[in-house]
Amino acid sequence: MPHPLSRRHLLSRAAALTLAPRAFAQPAPGLPGPGRLVLVFLRGAVDGLSLLVPYADPDYARLRPAIALPAPDGTEQTALRLDAHFALHPALAPLLPAWHQGQLAVVPAAGSPDPTRSHFDAQYHWETARPGQRGEAPGWLNTLAGLGGGDPELARAVGAGEAMPRILAGRARVKLLPHGPGAQRAGALEYPQAREALLALYDGPDALSRAFRQGAESRLRTARDLSREMQAADNGAPPAALLERDARQLGLLMRQEPELRLGFLSAGGWDTHVQQGGVTGQLANRLRNLAAALAQLRRDFDRPGDVIVVASEFGRTAAENGTLGTDHGHGNALWLIGPRVAGGRWWGQWSGLAAASLHEQRDLPVHHDFRAVLAQVLRPSFGLTDSQLAEVLPGANWDRQLDGLLRRG
Amino acid sequence: MALPTAFRRRPRPRPWLAAALLASAAALATAQPSPAPEHADTWRALSRLGYGPTPELIEQVRQAGGARAWALRQIDIAARDSLLPPPLDGLADDFNAPLPDIFTQFAQEREARRALRAAPASAPAAAPAQPPYSFRVARQAAGWRLHACSRPALENPLLARLTEFWFNHFNVSDDKDPARPFVGHYAVHAIRAHALGRFDALLLASARHPAMLSYLDQAQSVAEGTLQGQRPRGLNENYARELMELHTLGANGGYTQQDVRELARVLTGWTLGPNQPDGFRFAARLHDAGVKTVLGQRLGGPGDAQAGEGEGLAALRLLAAQPATARRVALRLAQWFVADQPPPALVEQLARSFQASRGDLRAVLRTLVQAPAFWDPAHALFKTPYDYACSALAAAGGPADEREVTQVLAQLQRAGQSVDRWPTPDGYQTDAATWLAPEALARRADFAMQLARRQPDVEFLATFLSPTLRQRIDSQPPPLRATLLLASPGFMRK
Repeated sequence: MPHPLSRRHLLSRAAALTLAPRAFAQPAPGLPGPGRLVLVFLRGAVDGLSLLVPYADPDYARLRPAIALPAPDGTEQTALRLDAHFALHPALAPLLPAWHQGQLAVVPAAGSPDPTRSHFDAQYHWETARPGQRGEAPGWLNTLAGLGGGDPELARAVGAGEAMPRILAGRARVKLLPHGPGAQRAGALEYPQAREALLALYDGPDALSRAFRQGAESRLRTARDLSREMQAADNGAPPAALLERDARQLGLLMRQEPELRLGFLSAGGWDTHVQQGGVTGQLANRLRNLAAALAQLRRDFDRPGDVIVVASEFGRTAAENGTLGTDHGHGNALWLIGPRVAGGRWWGQWSGLAAASLHEQRDLPVHHDFRAVLAQVLRPSFGLTDSQLAEVLPGANWDRQLDGLLRRG
Repeated sequence: MALPTAFRRRPRPRPWLAAALLASAAALATAQPSPAPEHADTWRALSRLGYGPTPELIEQVRQAGGARAWALRQIDIAARDSLLPPPLDGLADDFNAPLPDIFTQFAQEREARRALRAAPASAPAAAPAQPPYSFRVARQAAGWRLHACSRPALENPLLARLTEFWFNHFNVSDDKDPARPFVGHYAVHAIRAHALGRFDALLLASARHPAMLSYLDQAQSVAEGTLQGQRPRGLNENYARELMELHTLGANGGYTQQDVRELARVLTGWTLGPNQPDGFRFAARLHDAGVKTVLGQRLGGPGDAQAGEGEGLAALRLLAAQPATARRVALRLAQWFVADQPPPALVEQLARSFQASRGDLRAVLRTLVQAPAFWDPAHALFKTPYDYACSALAAAGGPADEREVTQVLAQLQRAGQSVDRWPTPDGYQTDAATWLAPEALARRADFAMQLARRQPDVEFLATFLSPTLRQRIDSQPPPLRATLLLASPGFMRK
């Protein structure tokens, strides 16, 4: 089909848009500090004990006769040794360099103080930073994005997909980046007559009209920012798994639109009740995709203030269940990657897997509130005051055991 | 694909953003007055109890003497139709085959997959002529949902709506391999067939269907220590937990982790029956014969006359009758049909109706459409992507062909609301906080433009617009008018 608009035309038109008066004014006040944060949220409660493997704990193999990762023997057929206590799932091998460079740290027993084993309540608690509360509340990334005032039309946070995740929902303007190559196209908005007629329908002061106008602007910019570079990057390469592709587009977009300082990605499929596998299998396959996405993010988020956080709503049972999988648990590992992260080590308390040390004798306990871990990241990254920190993460305590998790900038 | 001539214009670079902003500054003056109240009622009834107006449905409402009378009548028509086989109208219907046939075909597919994996890597892999059986069936089933929601002459709109509601409440996903070929059968025979019956019958139909047994792993959960081959197997809590958290009581419905465990023990032995007409089998050998206590009620053990399969039936009845279940269902209905934050009094009223009628879903629906809150213009709802796609297709006279169905299914997947494929058991949200995202809204215009390319007659939608919007759309050339009618602010709401 002969396309009515050549790409060159489209780009020149999109370039003209940047001359619009407001969009690229002088850096307005806004999110303080030097940092950027990307959060990768694993929905469905990832089995942390298969990622950060406590191989030296004799209870680990005892509780998981069929699915325990074998203790490290130096090959990729076993877990990969990190230190005298822990090893890494071999599918996460692409993260080893970050550990050895001292840029990957883990808090092995973190989580929410609320004991729910409901995915959906736990995710809501995590995303609003309000454990135990299900009432209407903004997502904490949205609250963070809105700190410091500045131009309310300018998005400072971006998430992948077309549905608003709770963590980004709230008063501050945030941007959504469609999955896949669709992000590189402006669709109906490419046609001037249609575009103008649509904008005329949505010229009101109401929320719907404002949203349409914001969406139109955002889409045109995204299409322009991504189209050339993503096509160059894709040249001849096989299509990457969805998460890796999201990671690549996110990295590119946050470089092109520097006011975007907060990124959010999520991936599902971690609720492994049945046949989760070990070195190979269902979970290993997903971990390979995760590792590829994280390796991709590391390439784009290598500035001194950048931090990548990987988390899940809770952990899974310490023991395997009756169907070679694991059921809903409590504590889980929380992962931090970045130049400022004091990595190559794990942080905080670890009390092993003996029955008496487990939460309700079955799950990893929560020794560190996830909000306390996040506070250690957010305060230095964004120069937050105590009151700002309390606004973003209500009720978070300062956990001194984690002091130094981020190196001084 | 040909573009309407109206779009064949060269782009004129211009700072439209500035223009748009200026316009918005002056926009208070053009705040849009609503269309007449009777139109608003018609819009609301047709968009919430179905998937939006068509000329035939508007005429139906008129003949019924108004939207309220129409709404009440639909409950009886939908109830009657729910007991009839699903209308397939020549569409591919392998998903509707008898369950033993689906099991057989699926077993063959899995056998072929195993053979393929076992084949030496050097052997030339024959390119498959078509997608494997289960994927074909799943695509058919999702396609049928799109036909059903957008062709009121094929499927009663309220029945299509309630099939969506209850499917989402008892969600399964064709993304999970063992559930994949059963999802369409589940939608039709477990959900649609009970959508206006009694809640406990619906709950039971869902519990015993192969789609649910596979999706939440119940089929594999067995008494602790049961030997399968050399290996001892045991409990899987997945279904028992979601049964209480999502299908009945709700997360704060007053059960404990101990109840989850005990309920999982009660249900051991509930598994797939590949040769049974209903796909279900109770395997006594896999059942935990001990005494259990669920919500304080003793089940099973030597003294229990209904020990075995009957324990699970009793447990489901017990859960269906809890006040917490009535409240949860009432809240979900009110959020779905009335407002993201529905008035508590309405939720209370629906819960009372549920309890008083012992879970008669027709009675609860009558309470709903007779409640003033249902008709109150203050309670706005924003269309989900599925609402939007179905209503735009319906306005355009239904899907043009299977290519369009495939296209729309792909668009819904990108929008984050795949048909039959919401991955997690909670089902999707329907609130504006989730779906009213700026970028997503802009993409709905693409959808409208795509439909408009086949030049559907959607001028009847203009009746429902404010005079201002109507005027603006009327001033555009006809090819663009259809796009604008389907992408107008009014069309985003239900």
